[in-house]
Amino acid sequence: MGAMFRSEEMALCQLFIQPEAAYTSVSELGEAGSVQFRDLNPDVNAFQRKFVNEVRRCDEMERKLRYIEAEVHKDGVHIPAVKEAPRAPNPREIIDLEAHLEKTENEILELSHNAVNLKQNYLELTELRHVLEKTEAFFTAQEEIGMDSLTKSLISDETGQQAATRGRLGFVAGVVQRERVPAFERMLWRISRGNVFLRRAELDKPLEDPATGNEIYKTVFVAFFQGEQLKSRIKKVCTGFHASLYPCPPSNTERQDMVKGVRTRLEDLNMVLNQTRDHRQRVLASVAKELTSWTIMVRKMKAIYHTLNLFNMDVTKKCLIGECWVPTADLPNVQKALADGSNACGSSIPSFLNCIETDEEPPTFNRTNKFTRGFQNLIDAYGVASYRECNPALYTIITFPFLFAVMFGDLGHGCIMAMFGGWMVVKEVSLAAKKSNNEIWNIFFAGRYIILLMGCFSMYTGLVYNDIFSKSLNIFGSSWHIPYDNHTLAENGALTLDPKDAYTEVPYFIGIDPIWQSADNKIIFLNSYKMKLSIIFGVIHMIFGVCMSVVNYNFFKRRYSIFLEFLPQIVFLALLFLYMVFMMFFKWIAYSTKNDELAYTQGCAPSVLILFINMMLFSKNVPEEGCKEFMFDAQSDIQRVFVFIALLCIPVMLLGKPLYLLATKKNNPKPEHSNGSVNQGIELQEQTDLGDVQPKPEAKSSGGHDHEDEPFSEIMIHQAIHTIEYVLSTISHTASYLRLWALSLAHAELSEVLWNMVLTFGLKDHNYVGAIKLYVAFCFWALFTLAILVMMEGLSAFLHTLRLHWVEFMSKFYAGLGYIFQPFCFKTILEQEENKDD
Amino acid sequence: MKGCIFNIDAGYLEGLCRGFKCGILKQSDYLNLVQCETLEDLKLHLQGTDYGTFLANEPSPLSVSTIDDKLREKLVIEFQHLRNHSVEPLSTFLDFITYSYMIDNIILLITGTLHQRPISELIPKCHPLGSFEQMEAIHVAATPAELYNAVLVDTPLAPFFVDCISEQDLDEMNIEIIRNTLYKAYLEAFYDFCKQIGGTTADVMCEILAFEADRRAIIITINSFGTELSKDDRAKLYPRCGKLNPDGLAALARADDYEQVKAVAEYYAEYSALFEGAGNNVGDKTLEDKFFEHEVSLNVHAFLQQFHFGVFYSYLKLKEQECRNIVWISECVAQKHRAKIDNYIPIF
Repeated sequence: MGAMFRSEEMALCQLFIQPEAAYTSVSELGEAGSVQFRDLNPDVNAFQRKFVNEVRRCDEMERKLRYIEAEVHKDGVHIPAVKEAPRAPNPREIIDLEAHLEKTENEILELSHNAVNLKQNYLELTELRHVLEKTEAFFTAQEEIGMDSLTKSLISDETGQQAATRGRLGFVAGVVQRERVPAFERMLWRISRGNVFLRRAELDKPLEDPATGNEIYKTVFVAFFQGEQLKSRIKKVCTGFHASLYPCPPSNTERQDMVKGVRTRLEDLNMVLNQTRDHRQRVLASVAKELTSWTIMVRKMKAIYHTLNLFNMDVTKKCLIGECWVPTADLPNVQKALADGSNACGSSIPSFLNCIETDEEPPTFNRTNKFTRGFQNLIDAYGVASYRECNPALYTIITFPFLFAVMFGDLGHGCIMAMFGGWMVVKEVSLAAKKSNNEIWNIFFAGRYIILLMGCFSMYTGLVYNDIFSKSLNIFGSSWHIPYDNHTLAENGALTLDPKDAYTEVPYFIGIDPIWQSADNKIIFLNSYKMKLSIIFGVIHMIFGVCMSVVNYNFFKRRYSIFLEFLPQIVFLALLFLYMVFMMFFKWIAYSTKNDELAYTQGCAPSVLILFINMMLFSKNVPEEGCKEFMFDAQSDIQRVFVFIALLCIPVMLLGKPLYLLATKKNNPKPEHSNGSVNQGIELQEQTDLGDVQPKPEAKSSGGHDHEDEPFSEIMIHQAIHTIEYVLSTISHTASYLRLWALSLAHAELSEVLWNMVLTFGLKDHNYVGAIKLYVAFCFWALFTLAILVMMEGLSAFLHTLRLHWVEFMSKFYAGLGYIFQPFCFKTILEQEENKDD
Repeated sequence: MKGCIFNIDAGYLEGLCRGFKCGILKQSDYLNLVQCETLEDLKLHLQGTDYGTFLANEPSPLSVSTIDDKLREKLVIEFQHLRNHSVEPLSTFLDFITYSYMIDNIILLITGTLHQRPISELIPKCHPLGSFEQMEAIHVAATPAELYNAVLVDTPLAPFFVDCISEQDLDEMNIEIIRNTLYKAYLEAFYDFCKQIGGTTADVMCEILAFEADRRAIIITINSFGTELSKDDRAKLYPRCGKLNPDGLAALARADDYEQVKAVAEYYAEYSALFEGAGNNVGDKTLEDKFFEHEVSLNVHAFLQQFHFGVFYSYLKLKEQECRNIVWISECVAQKHRAKIDNYIPIF
């Protein structure tokens, strides 16, 4: 755990790699994932960088892969997952892979091209068949009319003439998309001024669009018209509306023959189609096996070339120069990766790794494991720690679940939460493998260890509060007994238990005595207890936070701050608020019913709050008769001294540091600056050795040194703000810890209400109806317990705990001005790409 | 008062539109684009902008026409998204914007068929925003009357077309007159519609449309020199919703050469500035470019006000200008003709 106390030490390194070994070396570094590269060509455009052609090749390959993947998905072929991600291919393999992809793409392209052609044929034939079949009905109907009119012609000459003209009517038959029919019909009517007769019938089954595979609904139509000119115009309209026209012989027998012919051709075509589909399936299935590993390989390649683009070329073009941050602990790994990289390509000259000194603030890197990661994330969400600042995440592991539990104290609810967390921890591996897109679930899963600990701690505090689903457990037997006889008990509804007679003097073994569960003044008692508890925890937590700042001052060589900032702060806090805590304990110990002295019996116990307020305001309270105003004799004088010293601390906090800095500045002007320029001189020398390495961007000086450059007025203003904030915050933060009590009270009350209002309803009846009622009531009770008491209350307690840590605890020592270490790592890159795809 | 309830119907879309607007390329992007050596470089740079991966699925080598198509496709998708989510009166407003593309498409198709081009070759050249159902059957019409009766009567353009119904055959001259008459009717209708909406929309849009009308009037006049178009016919083509109306238009109708047009423009401060800066020498900007620049600045100004529909129109126009810029740069890059590569019109 020592490693977690501070972020790791980082070194800025220069890499000198042979151009031929660069690719393999970076590949090795990517597998190792412990190096963060810096961009050495920030002014160069994306398309003017060195390896832009390779990146483009990768893009092209990715495009092909996307195409192949889309085709595989279209046919519903399953893509198997790979067990182990393949390594980035070496340059020779890249060419093979490229050729292979090219071949596969062309093959699939050709296959789909053929399939589209075949389907197009099939579509046309099906349409023709439908046209022939559907028009059959029109023609027969017409012929019947014709027959009618023929018979009628015996009677009337007029109709006979009509029948004769019908023979000269031309027609076109075809298929048009259903949604375009109304416009089509209207247009035909318009261009012919109403001289076109259109019959149509809808196709019931949708047809398949050969190119996209979508379903399309079509309508068969036959347009009857007169004259050649009209025919050409109708045909123009048909092409305009994408209607496909089909030849349709006018006589019945010819149509019958044609239908037969079309049917046989359709069957043949169907066979061919099935064969091509099978072939396509086989090809795609074989491709699908390789697809994932190809994708991973190409992505790794692309990442490598992107990284190489950050490198700088030596003037002599003999080596590539890169700069990177490396955790010093990982330096051997990096060396090994570089050596492996050089060996892999058979380069005779090894790569060099050269640590350089810098003024720049290195990135913050906390090595975490699956347990600590959740807690570290809580801290990082507030602000990434400055480089090598002490890391509150370490203490958060315990304080976070503990403060949560103080608010969430209930044995039953804690147990549910612990079981949920425990289940996630036990099933960790299989749950992690199932990648879920559900954001809420992912949050829960990422915080599984926090949830488990929060659950366990809540069980403990639940035991202390003696609270399980708002009821108490009487495990060790109450230490109170009832001094009344049965007669008195039967007569009175409520009786007072005087601790003098009823208390056995041996406290209940752990936590609150279960007898309080049945007391009328339970809430009053618990409120006083929990309020004091919150203040005690709060003051201890804050004092701990202030003490943590010593560690930082010590580490960053600002010893003067220990005396000028830490000491007045801690004295101020201790003399006022720790003293209040002391009064609480004193009150608990000194006052008792069994005391003989009247001034120390329960009736005379003074309010701690009033005492504290009077202490601050130097005012007096008139005590009740027989009681004393103060708890002990010299208290009044001690308090006066305490307040006086505490007030004296404020000017020290305000003026101490600025004056000290002013004094030291005058004594030795600019000591730091010369130091910095010496550093730069060394760097420059190195750079001239190497040729034209770009001068590094002007380094920002680290947080510890920046006071030296600031003008006095600014330091003064900062210090004034800081002092005012601290003094006010001691009061407001102490009050803020009362949320521990408030939430705990709310939680207890809510669960009690739920029990009394819902579950009691089912427990009242003792017959069979009661069983059913209980069944229903329990459902509701369990549901509300989970949804409101565990989920909602848990969330709110979580947020309040988070606030107590971020604001009340961390503000005492934590700067959080760092930036996070983002190593070049294939694993994270692949994960990111995958998330993007989803 | 209008501002208070504007967001109920159009707030989301306005926000969306302003978001889209932020994706318009900046001057710095153009500076990078003109440095490109090949179209692949261009593609790589555009990937870093809001265009993102719009060219990622195009196999190399790229051609300028694919870039053009993809740029237009992206714009059309965005516009149609806005249109599909809009309600009255915004939907009518957006429809009005598409009518101008419809006019262009009709003219394109008629001219194409007049030159015996097959319709299937012409259709891909039409702007997708201006496509309508009867469009592809347009070649059945031989005269404007037929065109109206058979094709346009069902389209929203029908009311604009009433003025050009005649039994004359369609020829080049006729088509130009039809185009300009349609445009005149369209601009005036759009102008009235914006006036009717009122509020900031009217303020912003009338300004832009007035400029559009005046630009057309000036261009028609300049282009008509040396053609058979009589002065009376010419006067009929001027849209009457601009700032030139009525005195300026009357003066334009009498003009005989470029100098006289310029003299007319002298009376109007903003137009005289445009004529001042324009010239046909090398290095000078053409009058057309000057007009484009002025249009861009008007459209950029539209974004300075809130709660009005002008942003949708302006966004579309700015984006179109951007497409023209990118295509211009790509053409210059593709043809290795870098001398004029800087002739694009910067937007921001």
